[in-house]
Amino acid sequence: MKSRTILTTLIIAMILAFGFLSTTTGQTRKQLSVVIDTDSTRADEAQAIAHNLRAIGVSADVRIWEWNALKERIQAGERQMYLTAWGSAYFDPFDIIVPKFYSGDRGNYSGYSNARFDAALDRALRAVDNDARREAYFDAQQILYDDAPAIFGYSLMEVEAARSDVLNWQPSMDSRVNLHDVGLARGDTIVVGLYADKILTLDPAAYRDRPTETVIRNMFDALVTRTWDGKVVPEIAEAWKAVSDTEYLFRIRRGIKFHNGDLLDADDVVFTFDRVLREGAMGGRTSPRKGLLGPVEKVEKVDQYTVRFVLSSPFPVLPQALVHFQIVPRKYVERVGDEAFARKPVGCGPFKYVEGQFDDKIVMERFDDYYGGSPSIPPVGPARVKRAIFRMMPDPTVRVAAVKTGEVHIIQSVPSHMAAALVRDKNIQVKSVEGTRVYMVEMNCRRPPFDDPRVRRAMNYAVDWDAILRTVYAGNATRLATAFLPSGFGFNQSIVPYKYDPARAKALLAEAGYSTK
Amino acid sequence: MIRLSRTQAKIVERILATIPLALGVAVAAFIFMRAIPGDPVDIMMGEAAWTSEEEMAALRGEMGLDEPMHVQLWTYLKQVFKWDLGYSIVRSRPVADIIREALPATIELAVFAMLFALAVGIPIGVASALNPNSFMDRVGTCLSLVGVSLPAFWLGIVGILIFSMILGWLPTSGRIAYGAQPAHVTGLLVLDALITGNLPALGNALKHICLPMITLGLGVAAVVARVTRSSMLDVLSADYVQFARAKGVPERDVTCRHALRNAMIPTVTLVGLQFGSLLGGNMIVETIFGWPGLGRVVVDAIFARDYPVVQASVMVYALTFVLINLVADIIHTVLDPKISL
Amino acid sequence: MGHVSIPSDELCKGVISTARTVPYVRASRRRGTVKRLLAHGGGRTGLIIVAAFVLVAVLAPVIAPYAPDEVDLDSWLIPPGFGSGHLLGTDQLGRDILSRIIYGSRVSILVGLTTILISSVVGIGLGMLAGYYGGALDRVLARFTELLLAFPYLIFVIAIMSVIGPGFWNLVWALSFKGWVEFYRLARALTMSEKNREYVDAARALGRSDGVILVREILPNISNSMLVLGTLRMGNMIMTESSLSFLGLGIPPRIPAWGSMIADGRRYMLGAWWVATLPGIALALLVLGMNLLGEGLRDVLDPKMMEG
Repeated sequence: MKSRTILTTLIIAMILAFGFLSTTTGQTRKQLSVVIDTDSTRADEAQAIAHNLRAIGVSADVRIWEWNALKERIQAGERQMYLTAWGSAYFDPFDIIVPKFYSGDRGNYSGYSNARFDAALDRALRAVDNDARREAYFDAQQILYDDAPAIFGYSLMEVEAARSDVLNWQPSMDSRVNLHDVGLARGDTIVVGLYADKILTLDPAAYRDRPTETVIRNMFDALVTRTWDGKVVPEIAEAWKAVSDTEYLFRIRRGIKFHNGDLLDADDVVFTFDRVLREGAMGGRTSPRKGLLGPVEKVEKVDQYTVRFVLSSPFPVLPQALVHFQIVPRKYVERVGDEAFARKPVGCGPFKYVEGQFDDKIVMERFDDYYGGSPSIPPVGPARVKRAIFRMMPDPTVRVAAVKTGEVHIIQSVPSHMAAALVRDKNIQVKSVEGTRVYMVEMNCRRPPFDDPRVRRAMNYAVDWDAILRTVYAGNATRLATAFLPSGFGFNQSIVPYKYDPARAKALLAEAGYSTK
Repeated sequence: MIRLSRTQAKIVERILATIPLALGVAVAAFIFMRAIPGDPVDIMMGEAAWTSEEEMAALRGEMGLDEPMHVQLWTYLKQVFKWDLGYSIVRSRPVADIIREALPATIELAVFAMLFALAVGIPIGVASALNPNSFMDRVGTCLSLVGVSLPAFWLGIVGILIFSMILGWLPTSGRIAYGAQPAHVTGLLVLDALITGNLPALGNALKHICLPMITLGLGVAAVVARVTRSSMLDVLSADYVQFARAKGVPERDVTCRHALRNAMIPTVTLVGLQFGSLLGGNMIVETIFGWPGLGRVVVDAIFARDYPVVQASVMVYALTFVLINLVADIIHTVLDPKISL
Repeated sequence: MGHVSIPSDELCKGVISTARTVPYVRASRRRGTVKRLLAHGGGRTGLIIVAAFVLVAVLAPVIAPYAPDEVDLDSWLIPPGFGSGHLLGTDQLGRDILSRIIYGSRVSILVGLTTILISSVVGIGLGMLAGYYGGALDRVLARFTELLLAFPYLIFVIAIMSVIGPGFWNLVWALSFKGWVEFYRLARALTMSEKNREYVDAARALGRSDGVILVREILPNISNSMLVLGTLRMGNMIMTESSLSFLGLGIPPRIPAWGSMIADGRRYMLGAWWVATLPGIALALLVLGMNLLGEGLRDVLDPKMMEG
């Protein structure tokens, strides 16, 4: 009997409590409730954001997913708010803003669609004149800022470290590790701790990821290359010019030798691009890199040292794109076949391949007959070190430990909070460059509540990015006003990022009909 | 007609029984991987502009990913029967090459972790059993229980910080230094170095395997110690041991000759079962120590949805698991003739 | 999952003999068990540790100095000490580690308990059926469990976590998916040896149905062994949860769990050792307690060990 009385009392108490709760919070306004999705790498940031949202009366929770599983759900439009990032390789909004925010494009996870914005991007893509392009991008930036399809975030500084006996070392914004230019005060073998778990291949036409490219670019050269801060300079090509909006001529340097002694000429260049562009050109398989060449239709030989690029529509970023297409030796590839080429690659870069295992390390040796590399990036001549080794070191703590013990000379991708420990070490030099990846929190603009721009703007005002970047990323980050990068073409400095302003956020939420705290 | 003894026939039967198992595992892997959301081609294409749906569809078609599921499964099974493991979607090379490259590293690490576990676990277990509830026994119990309860990823990082960074005794990661590799015989570096008599290579390889081996093997060592202790206690109280004691056989002989041999029977079964988990469970240790083994390949392939690589590796794992347990059972019969296969 | 477990067959070897020699007696014997457990050194320590953790878990809201998910970016990575008001320091988001460990005990114990409960119900049920009836059912289950054991667990977990999404219950399902096999194997072996014993024959002679025999006669006689296996496996389940967090597949971060605390803190090992190490110690302590309790139970329930 007694227990039944207690039970009854309890139930009554609960009903009363619920009633009490609902009378205090249950005004005519509804409470905004969001689930923030992320993969595990940005879990801390997501929790800090959720904390900010809760502070203004939004019920916020974080879910951690395996990224590719999450991506599929985002693409299906099933999720509300998600931490995403997108990298740019071409130093132009072309490969970041367009895929990310153009209506229906491949990376447009927010489902954002605005005809005026699309039109501005179209103008920027079609124009060849730089002023017109810049103006179009400025317009697009302002529209994007106002519509706020995402909580705009930041770009991370890319922190790299090297032993102090590594000379003339400079990290690049495109995460290239330029081993041609560096020297060693002691010893002749330089070891790089690559942040990757593996590289995919040694065939310049068969991958799309950065680590693979980092290794390949030390064995292969391209028509053009970049300075560390993103300017395009000649490499294999001596010079180039645009004949029209859709036609470019490249003149090739004479006397460049491949590692097997063959001389490089227009045939090799044409072959290289044909392998990428033509379906089934890699021994029956198609290169995954075709899309990176945009509207390039074909590459033709004009004479032994001149090639012509023919485009189907204007493509002002072509020189930037060509940095990523390494020239392969036609005769060698045709003789040994594509699979054998990938196993025993031959290029014309400063180092030649010795041996390696893609999950372990790649060893290469100086190519003594090297033509010298880009005259715009001194020193010119053969590489200064005799041997270079890339080691796969997926764990960041281990990379840092390895550079401290001297096991490796250069490491990439030092986590921000470990950089401080390295700076204090006298044997280590730490440098950072502006990153080319934009990190943000996208919102699903197709469904309530984020189909209302006021709510999206409220979210932008609600997040205290300065505090998050200062702690979670130890200050190694640049706050961005939109998803346009300062290093990219057409960046409008005069747009200031959304301020941290909880009062404003609450006002906007209230205006949209949501309760606040 | 070849006549087989009963035991031999049993062994043949067990080996033949692995074929349906391998097939079952392959089919399960196929189904599970397809059930996980994510598109391998989309993942491979990364973040870039101008990647059209047509371009991706063409690649999907080239890899046969656009066929209906049952057709894909059928194609896959036909391939397996032709002893063809397929072609990696992401790494654009034959899967067989990838596995051939990675498997020796994984086996080497698992074998060493197991040797470490036995070398540490059995003495502790035996010593505890000989003096149950003594101080020694308590310490052994605590040590081994702590050993089971430390997560490998924590242990590995702490090991690297202490032994590589602070003390500088051991390398942080990798399998062997460049230039020290022994000539390729089996792919197991330590074994190769021994075969070719290359002492510097042996030293270098051992230094590299030290930390990963301990990180991976410590938990198993703890379990080995517990099992050895309890089976040893059982055996020591068994009639025939009491009888031997009563007959005046020296205590040392009782322990070593009679008790230990019998107490090893459960340990052998354990080794068989645990070896499987060492092979299949070392992806975390491999990632931390940059150990170029199959575990890392599989995890990576799962995240990249590289179906052919996952399917093939899962089959390799399953076969190894079954075969090792078969070997354990054979050792069993040698240790204790009463047990039949 | 990188973690090892004592295989059930070996671990409960001693207990199998218990079931053979000691017929089932009701509550009076159970009370004796507790008493003898308290007299058993390891068992007592284990019981105290586990009881302490359970107490902490129950009283979490009362004893935790802060809310476990209270982010305070101004006081991040404070080292342990008395001065700051954070006895065990704070983590990378300025959350109080002591409070998180206290609340984390709830999740860890809950994960352990529920996975063991689900695994044991499924495992014992199927195991008893297979052991009692044998035949086709037994053969099918034998093949199926073999397949499960040979199949890399990680693929299961990633598949489950990504198909049904992250969450506490999904994690429990993922952990139980393979966890039941051990219970199945032991229950089957025990049932096979029990079903031919006199008391079962007697029940049959009295005309009891198979269901009644299984539940009323055999189950009580194998439950001791199952209890021991359960306590011993629980620590293991908690460990596995931490490994899943390492791979980014753990439970939602707002619920503090030791596993994800260790996994996240691992990144700060170089500068802030306490973030990963302190929850690691808590985890090790609980697993230690569970194992001591389990082994104590086994010793106590096994008359042979009592003699020795």
